[in-house]
Amino acid sequence: MATTTAAVTLTSDLLSDALSVSTTTTCMKAGTTADGLDQMRMGRNEVPTGTSFDLLDATTAGIDKANKVYIANLSTDETYYVIVVIDAKVIGRLYGGDWMFIPWNMDDATHDLEVTAYVGTNTIEWVKFHENETLATQGD
Amino acid sequence: MATTTATITINSTDLLTDELALTSTTTLTTAGTSTGVTQTTGLARKTMTFASSGVIDSEVLYRSDDYTADKANKVYIKNTSTTPAEYFEIMITGAGGTAGGGVTELGRLYAGDWAFFPWNATGGTKETFIATIAGTWVAGETWEFDGVNIAAANATVADIAAQIDAAQFPNWVTSRSGAAVTFVARESVDAGTVVTATADIVIVQSGGSDATSVVSSAAMGTKSLSDIYIKPSVHTGMTYETLLIHE
Repeated sequence: MATTTAAVTLTSDLLSDALSVSTTTTCMKAGTTADGLDQMRMGRNEVPTGTSFDLLDATTAGIDKANKVYIANLSTDETYYVIVVIDAKVIGRLYGGDWMFIPWNMDDATHDLEVTAYVGTNTIEWVKFHENETLATQGD
Repeated sequence: MATTTATITINSTDLLTDELALTSTTTLTTAGTSTGVTQTTGLARKTMTFASSGVIDSEVLYRSDDYTADKANKVYIKNTSTTPAEYFEIMITGAGGTAGGGVTELGRLYAGDWAFFPWNATGGTKETFIATIAGTWVAGETWEFDGVNIAAANATVADIAAQIDAAQFPNWVTSRSGAAVTFVARESVDAGTVVTATADIVIVQSGGSDATSVVSSAAMGTKSLSDIYIKPSVHTGMTYETLLIHE
């Protein structure tokens, strides 16, 4: 079994007392504690402004699974951002330096994860941890 | 300036033939700036439980109307369950998706899983209307709407409007210009039509009075486009923790 852990630490002084949240999860297949996610894809892309791009295509093999997606916007200009969209629904803006880590349920084949860059060409890194994917038959 | 940092570390020694080690730290700033975010809901924890015979329903985790759209808000959610099969569905309202009408499912947070993501908080349009106090009033006559009852302190319509404006309504906020009180719904709802009409305001007149409160300029609301819903997978208690950092 592959063991992949994802840990987050949030710290802040914006309250009158310290805010500190820390947790770790082991990325397991859906509904198990005995079998870790055993597949991944990883990439780094330069995303030009003005066009929406499919970053990750949903497949029916991913429906109701415990897939995880990490995306980081590596842009160093804080005004740069990418809008992250799932199935035509805007999730949020990932500004330069920000990262996100979400579960991704490919509800249906239209549940693609898309990004659109703004202000300038944004550089992003991403990782998808998943299960149950078989390569598509060559189509051309 | 407040400094809030979020660090993620992803490790695996055996998913690939070589070790995977990824770390990223971001300082949470307001949209398009290097100024730190200054507001948070604080860390919250809640258990959702449903009767075994009932339907498992979702609840609103964060309502877009309460925040500002197109900002650098960040949401943290954790499923504290230790039972492997138990998961929370995280959903966002708006177009698309098959998790329910107008709801997009982000994904399933299984036992021990957590998520951290930006949130656009795009609210809807709130229903509005103007109630104009007119006619001849007598001190002591009452005006009632949204469960709030006001007794006119005197016969002057502008003063009565001021009394209404000063009241606190469960579902509306108000402003005033002369004898006209503008009502704005606290939450955006797509009711398909303008909900409020003159008949919804009850005036109890005394003898000989022709006091009125006419509703005009009513505009229909539209639904919020990015409320965050959370729905457990089982009826028995499931607990989540959450934190919203926003501007």
